Amino acid sequence: MEAITQQIIFWILGITTITAAIGVIAASNTINSVMSLLVVMLAAAGFYMLMGAPVVALFQIIIYVGAVLVLFLFIIMLLNPDATGLSMSRKLSVWMAGIVSVGMTVVIGWIFWQSATQTNMQNVMKNHVCSCTIHDISVVLFSRHLLIFELTSLLLLVAAVGALLMTKKTREDRS
Amino acid sequence: MGIYHFFAIGIILFSIGLIGFILRNNVIIILMSVELMLNAVNLLFVAFSRYLYANPDGQIYVFIIMTVAAAEVAVGLAIIVALYRRFATLDVSKINQLKG
Repeated sequence: MEAITQQIIFWILGITTITAAIGVIAASNTINSVMSLLVVMLAAAGFYMLMGAPVVALFQIIIYVGAVLVLFLFIIMLLNPDATGLSMSRKLSVWMAGIVSVGMTVVIGWIFWQSATQTNMQNVMKNHVCSCTIHDISVVLFSRHLLIFELTSLLLLVAAVGALLMTKKTREDRS
Repeated sequence: MGIYHFFAIGIILFSIGLIGFILRNNVIIILMSVELMLNAVNLLFVAFSRYLYANPDGQIYVFIIMTVAAAEVAVGLAIIVALYRRFATLDVSKINQLKG
């Protein structure tokens, strides 16, 4: 793909992502929020395709869009909660949120800029080409990262049992 | 187009998620803001794996983070169901029994 095409796709995806992300936190209806999150997830999958990581894009769509967002929608339709707006009564918290997030963005950006200028990142980037096909990923995943892989299966089991236990009706609830 | 562009998108997404986490009162929106922040981190992992370190380790961490996010959503939504059953609201400012 040509560089200019990649640029155009990048900017379209970037504007879409940020607009939809603002929609997630600003929508008054929870369903609209979930739909904006869907757009963010799909745009993130597009970013992964753009970066040459189709496996991650595939799993992004399967896991996030297919499982997580459907779970969110299911819970919203099950509970049918009232729309809770922005907490505008607490003016102080609005200012605090702004200050904290802008400060955090500036600090992270500054640290990145410092390390980028000190390590001469352009040279490092030119020397390497990632061979991130599904074959390479599988070889590394099942050799060097095998322990983490097995531990996540344990985590999923514990999460499933925990979710069941959490929603179980206790004796007081029934009576 | 390089690591700087993706880095900018990543930290902007993370900041939006942080703002939502602090500002909103709805528990479900708070959980979605956490998902937004996790997505920003995933984007940064893949960007660094592709443009800086040139090995697939970053993508494997993304898989692990996705699994943890799925487990977190399962447990978090179970907690939300239990909360709704107990308090009949999803507004965190009304759920304040632990407040002294």
